[in-house]
Amino acid sequence: MLKGWLASPKLDARACAGVFRCALALALPLWLGGCALLLPQTEALRKDWPADLAQRIELDSVPFFPQKDYQCGPASLATAMVYGGAAVGPDDLVDKVYLPQRGGSLQVEMLAAARRYGLVSWQLAPRFGDLLREVQAGTPVITMQDYGTWPIHYWHYAVVVGFDRDTGKAVLRSGEKRRLEIPFAVLEYTWKESAYWAMVAVPPDRVPVTATETQWLQAVVAMERVADRQAARAAYAALLRRWPDSLNGAIGLANVAYAQRDLPAAESALREAVQRHPDSAVALNNLAQVLSEQNRTEEALTLIDAAVALGGPFAAAAQETREQIRKKTARP
Amino acid sequence: MKSAAFRALCRFLIASLFAMSFQSAMAGMIGTDQAVAAASTQSERAALINTMSRSDVAGQLQLQGVDPDAAKARVASMTDQEVRSLAGQIDSLPAGASSGSGWAVAIVIVLLVWYFWK
Repeated sequence: MLKGWLASPKLDARACAGVFRCALALALPLWLGGCALLLPQTEALRKDWPADLAQRIELDSVPFFPQKDYQCGPASLATAMVYGGAAVGPDDLVDKVYLPQRGGSLQVEMLAAARRYGLVSWQLAPRFGDLLREVQAGTPVITMQDYGTWPIHYWHYAVVVGFDRDTGKAVLRSGEKRRLEIPFAVLEYTWKESAYWAMVAVPPDRVPVTATETQWLQAVVAMERVADRQAARAAYAALLRRWPDSLNGAIGLANVAYAQRDLPAAESALREAVQRHPDSAVALNNLAQVLSEQNRTEEALTLIDAAVALGGPFAAAAQETREQIRKKTARP
Repeated sequence: MKSAAFRALCRFLIASLFAMSFQSAMAGMIGTDQAVAAASTQSERAALINTMSRSDVAGQLQLQGVDPDAAKARVASMTDQEVRSLAGQIDSLPAGASSGSGWAVAIVIVLLVWYFWK
């Protein structure tokens, strides 16, 4: 099975002599020093394929947009985003990620642009296994590769859509190639230079399998800044399905519902939050406000008193809310 | 005309424009971003620095050939942390672009790797 994959390099004396005679005498000992040094993750995968990973996956239906000029950024992003359900093409993304003077696209802008279409951007941990896990879960992964050699960099975005353990190859949508198969070793070698930078852009009702609660919440908050409310609401709901105990997830869901003037939904999300986190001043404060706006002032005052009594960084905000609720009761 | 005071005034005006567009107005409700940021207790000074960085980065994007409105919208879709990572760095950060000559190098690498690990 390891044939065509990565058999460990074994050096005989002759090969060594040849190597040292060649002009790359300085670089090659490093290369030949072993995969573990140069391609640690590929080597680790070869030795120990994670039990939760399939042998072979390919997302055939991921679309392909051949890149124009230097615009692999817009092309790769469109590939991932269209598969995520966004109605967008590479040309729409040029003025959202492309820098004409640099002739390329920055990583931060790749993450930022997807949010404007109501997708949530997630930067993967720098792990080969995580990349494969996302692909296996049905999400194409955008990677940043460097096809140059020191000191020249040729940064390039491509989208990983499949892998095969037996052949030891990954399948990419890359540049002008719809289906580029490259060995894991080559992928890691080129990908390593970007510190294993990889991202996905998923529809708001999905949470990437490799996401972690705190970071995912930040990713959703980042999306909420620029996307429409319906997308944000779906994202918070999905977050709560995955992590039902997330306090800020519930507060986020309630805030979007509140902004949409869906007060009953805001109330039920906050009640759940207060039940799970009785000492959250934010949840108490916001629930009090929502109830007050539904003219349930008595209940609102009890809750806001509890919020104020908790003190902490939100004490001032809670006091302000209490004043407002009281003013309302004073009115005839 | 381009005195230091004039430039400072421009910076201030740009910054205040940004500040206005990022304000969220929900009286009585504590915002999600505030709740999330509570752990890091963002000071007003940090908020001002963020606002300044945003106008800085928008200006840099314009220097890279992006038109002003697009630059503003692009910055708006970044998080504070992302903005800080770009401020003053746009020239040196990697920008994915390669095609053409890049592929020649790519082929050489692929051949080398294949040669040694086949």
